Amino acid sequence: MEQQIAELTEKLAALEAAQAMSSTVNSEIFYWWCTGLMVIIHAGFLAYEMGASRAKNVLASGIKNILAFAFVIPTFFFFGWWIYLAFPNGFIPVMDSYGAPWDASMGPNLADNATGVFWAAFTLFAATTASIFSGAVIERIRVSSFLILAILLGSVVWILGASWGWHPTGWLTVQLGYHDVGAAGVVHMIAGFFALGVLINLGPRVGKFNEDGSANELCAHNVPFTITGLMLIIVGFFGFLGGCIIYMPGEQWINIYGQPATLSAFAFNTLMGFSGGIIGAWLKTRDPFWMMSGALVGIFCAASGLDVYYPPLAFLLGFFGGIVVPMAAKALEKAGIDDAVGAFPVHGVGGLIGVLGCGLFASGYPNVEDYPPITLYGQAIGAVVMALLGFIPGFVVSYIMKLMGVLRVPDEIQIIGLDKTKVPVKAYPEGGIGSAMPAE
Amino acid sequence: MNGSPITSWEGAEAYFTFADSPTMITIFLVGAVVVCFGAIFYGGMHESEAYKENMPE
Repeated sequence: MEQQIAELTEKLAALEAAQAMSSTVNSEIFYWWCTGLMVIIHAGFLAYEMGASRAKNVLASGIKNILAFAFVIPTFFFFGWWIYLAFPNGFIPVMDSYGAPWDASMGPNLADNATGVFWAAFTLFAATTASIFSGAVIERIRVSSFLILAILLGSVVWILGASWGWHPTGWLTVQLGYHDVGAAGVVHMIAGFFALGVLINLGPRVGKFNEDGSANELCAHNVPFTITGLMLIIVGFFGFLGGCIIYMPGEQWINIYGQPATLSAFAFNTLMGFSGGIIGAWLKTRDPFWMMSGALVGIFCAASGLDVYYPPLAFLLGFFGGIVVPMAAKALEKAGIDDAVGAFPVHGVGGLIGVLGCGLFASGYPNVEDYPPITLYGQAIGAVVMALLGFIPGFVVSYIMKLMGVLRVPDEIQIIGLDKTKVPVKAYPEGGIGSAMPAE
Repeated sequence: MNGSPITSWEGAEAYFTFADSPTMITIFLVGAVVVCFGAIFYGGMHESEAYKENMPE
């Protein structure tokens, strides 16, 4: 009898160990595939940016976009991940080697199945943030300066915002109950406002504005490519949003703040926001570019409360964003700012609607520990923090670059075209698109 | 040349081949940082030259 009990105990322990390992590996697999899906965001940004460029700049825009991705990865390894873990309290770091690039967790480690896949997911969030900014400045920013700005945004600024407002103990959630599960503020607002700060110093593309201030349309050379790129970005966002929820082996999912949540809630509200954004933009513009941008806007408008909204509310928030954001783009153009792909309206304004919407429609939703619940006040303060955290570094650093004369491609070179100036291959070598286009 | 810090997986945790000491980790890390930022600097120089060469008279 005793021997049987011992054998059963041994078998039970083995089963428990196998179950625990299986759960650990499942969690690892989940984030691996979220990361893989997020790479599709970059396929989308690449197509989107190249399509939105004029033919004379198409490859230069592609190079810039690819390099942003390439440089954010190592710099996020060098310091980005550490910033996330070290700054939840504000500007004073918590000194811990976990997350530092020399830590035992930052590489092959048979005792740690989690750090690598979480780092990878966050790295792709970072690269997404930098790519949002990338589209706004096409056709006239120097690549070297752009890369410094992309690293600043992707591996420093947004991740500092994430540490404050997208972290279980970030000061914005601990003190104000800030709630932003889908990163409307920490990714989209920060990227959009950063882009705005740079655009003010960078100036418009040659030929964008007339002397009387009226704007010319510098047509995208391949609108179908741009629209397809936008759809790819949306495919990738399912990986992005999947990476925003925490897989807890053997337990219910939790959101980034530790509150119980389900991936099903994310599914309902992502799709409903997506749909509302397209329909709103369609009614407002009839323009397929804005319809697909509206799809993104719809997701961002619902993003902060993806875990809590009734799906028709997510639809209406998306619909509202789909109408408002094209208007914001017009207003920006009237103000003399040339945002080539609408990065500020789509991400900055869309993200703002998302953050404030959560304060309006999810107030009182409880928090963990004794942290405050969601309030409109907390969301509004969070929105101001995200806007400033994006805008100030973008404006200040690009202003310094402008003073040094290293921010903007000379106007004469813009007229010739960036591809002809510095790209060793031709986009369309057999003629046709772009080859006989007059310089603008 | 043997770069592996382990000879079996029994009890193994972190195992960075050829980087099992702070010195080697520092060399690889600093090397990667230098390549990363050096490439941007070099790219900036190349850009300036390309603009200069292609500037219309």
